Amino acid sequence: MAGPKARALQRKRAALLVLVVLLASHAQAQAPPDLSGVWAPYRAGRGADPTLTPPPPTPIVLKPQYATPYDTRRAAEDEAIKRGEPLGTAAVQCVPYGFPRMMAVALYPAEIIQRPAQITIVTEAFSEVRRVYMNQPQLPIDEVPPGYYGHSVGKWDGDTLVVDTVGIKESVLGYQNTPHSSQMRITERIRLVTPDMLHDQITVEDPVVLEKPFTYTLAYRRMPNYKMVEFVCENNREYLDEKGAVKMKLRER
Amino acid sequence: MKTRLYVSVLLCAAVVAAQPVLAHHSFAMFDTAKRVTMSGTVTSFEWTNPHAYIELDVPDEKGTIKHWSIELGSPSILMQAGWKFTDVKVGDKITVVLSPLRSGEAGGLLAQVTVRDGRVLGNGPGRVGGQP
Repeated sequence: MAGPKARALQRKRAALLVLVVLLASHAQAQAPPDLSGVWAPYRAGRGADPTLTPPPPTPIVLKPQYATPYDTRRAAEDEAIKRGEPLGTAAVQCVPYGFPRMMAVALYPAEIIQRPAQITIVTEAFSEVRRVYMNQPQLPIDEVPPGYYGHSVGKWDGDTLVVDTVGIKESVLGYQNTPHSSQMRITERIRLVTPDMLHDQITVEDPVVLEKPFTYTLAYRRMPNYKMVEFVCENNREYLDEKGAVKMKLRER
Repeated sequence: MKTRLYVSVLLCAAVVAAQPVLAHHSFAMFDTAKRVTMSGTVTSFEWTNPHAYIELDVPDEKGTIKHWSIELGSPSILMQAGWKFTDVKVGDKITVVLSPLRSGEAGGLLAQVTVRDGRVLGNGPGRVGGQP
């Protein structure tokens, strides 16, 4: 019954269908993974899966004029801890950590809320919030008011979220309490290593303070049913005495 | 003797491992190598950040009461170890094990507590009470 014209039409339709299926599967392959959910720091150690453990950090090499005060401060901190009179930190006075230290505070989880235009990261300790603006150009550093979280832009590189951050205040200390200048730039490569394991590879560049960039990687495990806990620093009983040591206020009967 | 040394090394390792868990400040003001056990009556239980606190009236053999302030982890860290905000209430008779302040004042860091129904709770994951 079907004439040559009808058969040609059928072939065209079949070809179109194949094309649509191919395009759809290609689009699916390109769709970024959904990182939304609550994630808890995953620490290496007994019982940890070695294949999921992040690589060790690269060395932090400060320029000599920054290395000396940094080493002196660390030695003083170690000495104070040995005496049982630890030196104060911003956190003792309930000042939040800021980026990047907020990404790894003890066992406190982080929540990621992913939308195409913005990825929001809320960390539990001190309820800190970062906003990553997707597919936007980064601002020049001197246009970002220095702050605790700076200005972050993100884009997908295949299945990896790449986040660029500038504008972190100099008083906000970095990884291992390292100092930094206004010229610091932090690049994160965030990806799912398995469906329930996230790695955040953090590279810190600072042409003023660092001899060369350093990189460290944080690991997180998914907490499927976890509800984030509020954290309002309302009952801080730690204070610094006249020597700058941490003390605890006691109640009378 | 060897066994005792082994146990104290293990204890130190456990203490070192547990410290970052509680992390809002260094815990060096507490003598974490020491453990003191005391029983008393709760006068206040504060489920707050950056730390929860138990206020405890502790009678001595003669019945004289000494008041202790006891620091815990934060609610988040405690809940991850199975705590509820109702586990301790004013008026409860409880027994605590704590690491005292090095200064000798009546304050300490909780190691574990036996609550009114007999359950033993630690001070966060990795301590008594374990992972959720």
